[in-house]
Amino acid sequence: MLHIVDDEEVIRDSLLWLARSRGIAAAAYESGNAFLASLDGKAEFDPQGECVLLDVRMPVISGVALFETLTMRDLAQRLPIIFLTGHGDVPMAVDTLKRGAFDFFEKPFNDNKLMDRVQEALAASQQAGAMAAVQTRLAALSVREREVLGLVLDGKMNKVIADQLGISMRTVEVHRAHIFDKMEVKTAVELARLLK
Amino acid sequence: MESNERQEQLIADSLWVEQTIRFQLSRDEESIRLAGNDIVAGNLSKNKFRERVATLLRNSREMRRIVWLDAHGKLVESTDDVPVSLADFSAPSRLAETNVRKTMAAQYSQPASPPGVNRPVQMDFHLPLLAGERYIGSLIASYSTASILDEMVPWWFAQDNEILLADGDDKVIDKRASGGPGRGVYTHSRALDLPGLTLTLRTNSVKSAPKLLPNLLVGSVIILSIGLLWSLWALWRDINRRLAAEGALRQQVSFRTAMENSLLTGLRARDLEGRVTYVNPAFCQMVGTPAEELVGKKPPMPYWAPEAMDEYQERFSQVLAGTVTPQFETIFQRAGGERFPVLIFESPLVDDTGKQTGWMGSILDISDRKRVEALNQQQQEKLQAGARLSTMGEIASTLAHELNQPLAAISSYTTGALNLLNSSDAQSGALDLNLLKSALEKAGAQAQRAGQIIRSVHAFVKKREPMRETVAIQALIDSVMPLVELQAHQFFVVIQSSIAPALPPVLGDHVLLEQVLLNLTRNAIEAMRNVPPQRRLLRIVADEAAATPNVVISVIDQGHGIPDDVTDRLFSPFFSTKAEGMGMGLNICRTAIEFHGGTLTHANNPQGGTIFRFSLPSQK
Repeated sequence: MLHIVDDEEVIRDSLLWLARSRGIAAAAYESGNAFLASLDGKAEFDPQGECVLLDVRMPVISGVALFETLTMRDLAQRLPIIFLTGHGDVPMAVDTLKRGAFDFFEKPFNDNKLMDRVQEALAASQQAGAMAAVQTRLAALSVREREVLGLVLDGKMNKVIADQLGISMRTVEVHRAHIFDKMEVKTAVELARLLK
Repeated sequence: MESNERQEQLIADSLWVEQTIRFQLSRDEESIRLAGNDIVAGNLSKNKFRERVATLLRNSREMRRIVWLDAHGKLVESTDDVPVSLADFSAPSRLAETNVRKTMAAQYSQPASPPGVNRPVQMDFHLPLLAGERYIGSLIASYSTASILDEMVPWWFAQDNEILLADGDDKVIDKRASGGPGRGVYTHSRALDLPGLTLTLRTNSVKSAPKLLPNLLVGSVIILSIGLLWSLWALWRDINRRLAAEGALRQQVSFRTAMENSLLTGLRARDLEGRVTYVNPAFCQMVGTPAEELVGKKPPMPYWAPEAMDEYQERFSQVLAGTVTPQFETIFQRAGGERFPVLIFESPLVDDTGKQTGWMGSILDISDRKRVEALNQQQQEKLQAGARLSTMGEIASTLAHELNQPLAAISSYTTGALNLLNSSDAQSGALDLNLLKSALEKAGAQAQRAGQIIRSVHAFVKKREPMRETVAIQALIDSVMPLVELQAHQFFVVIQSSIAPALPPVLGDHVLLEQVLLNLTRNAIEAMRNVPPQRRLLRIVADEAAATPNVVISVIDQGHGIPDDVTDRLFSPFFSTKAEGMGMGLNICRTAIEFHGGTLTHANNPQGGTIFRFSLPSQK
């Protein structure tokens, strides 16, 4: 989902149109507040990834202020921000880039390049979402399970693990089954890919 | 003063004379007493008497004789050769003798002539001869009063004074007037007291009162001498002054000549008939005609331009009538025929008696000034153009931002359209033409918008001559609105404009007026840069002035307002509170509004911020 935040109706409309032509789902907001309001009612992130196209110059809440709010809420990873800057705002945009913005485009921009970056941002967001999910699952593991997980990822056989931890083969198998369960994987290869 | 001195001198001399007489008489008295004592003592016999007193008589020549009478008045001895009896003495003398016998005290008799003769008047000294208490006779010394005066008064005193002896009854007994009769001017009386007799010594100077004429003469000589000295001194001083004045005059003349010659201002004096009486070199140089050809000339003058002859004649008659304006501009002609503008100051030429003798004119060649004025005008125009450009510079960034919007939109629409076309190619068919059409329409609309923005700026930048045409207020405000909105937009300022219905048009240059409005609105917008967004309201109000046939346009902001210390200099050129400002904006606005015959003022907005208000004469 692409979020377009711009006070200019023309810009919003043209960007929506552009996103549609590239098959990207998009929504537009006429102000930072409207966008923040939409976040408040949000249950979960789009699994396809999310991205914000943010106009720097806006009344009431400027693009930069909105960016800072999102950073403070620790949403910058899940909502990569691409700034759209007008003439003369470049130094400020570079500054935001250093502080974690995904990218910035100076108007007038090359639209398909922008859309390419939007898709990259969506992918990044998607990945960040996946990472977050893995982290959640890892958090569910017990201490012993994490030890077993580490050894499994090292590619050690159950017997070696049992010997190393001083427990029975059977116990290792139970832990292993719990780990696969909690991490929502079926095989060790799958697990290794997830935690790559 | 002279008379005082004389009087004092006379008194002193008279005293001296009186003393002399008294002294001589008492010396005589003393000698007679000595002789008397000798007789009484029996030391002087009758025989020796004559011998003894002869010496006395020789020494005191005023004494005529000495007679020795016995106790019965009989003659004992006398210095006279003829026998003398008591009967030969004057009556007063006889009386004195009787008294002397009675009183036994020496006494003088009243002066009188002896019986039977008139002269000499005699005064006798009667000395009783007393042997103890007994009277044994008398010694009678006879003095001639004339002799007293002759012998006892010194000649030098007698020379200058008439000397009189008067008795107690003020009767003149005798006098000495060897120097002529006394004038009665300087007189002195002195009592001469003798035993049994009081005489008065009276002196009367022969000197007359100080004479006026000689005194006057002397005085005149002195005065004349002083006068002469003073005249010499005055003459000397006068000559000095004259020399100094001449020097100063010479210096003044050369100073004035130098001044007149070095003056760039032409000077021209004319008499009451308009004849030129004087011109200075600057004037000659100005008109290119030598002084000899100008002095004495009557109008028309060689430097009068033929085409302006009527004006000269008229002014010349005004000059003669004395009604000419003291300062005016006209044109003169150089000898070569070239015309040049001059500024003339005409003032009456008045002589030292206060009578007007002509006119003095100073003539300034103002072609240079005219050139400078023209140059200034150009500079001003350039400056205004510059300010206009700087105004443009200030809104250039706004413009870039504003143009970016439609350009970005166009780009997005067209890219989107291309994407659609590409994807339909890939998928062979299934192209949504309506979708494509709407994208292209939207792109076209945005291109139109960009064009509008460009046009609104273009009209503003164009340099042109101011002109007067009928300008409708609504049209004026409408024409600047796009640019105002551009700027307002940048700072998220809301614009409200209210134009009174049926507002009469004004006569003016719409570009200048647009510029004024644009300047004022830009200031208003910038003033609200730092106030909360909900207060950012720009109001443009146009209505008719209450009492005058004026249209008033107000630009009202709710910004930071104008500090008091800035108010005074607000309209000064090159004064700006903005870091990048040239300080020409309001100055040009005021000039422009005044060019239209209106006024530009400002006031504080009761709601906070500032109101700029300009009035324009309406065209009804």
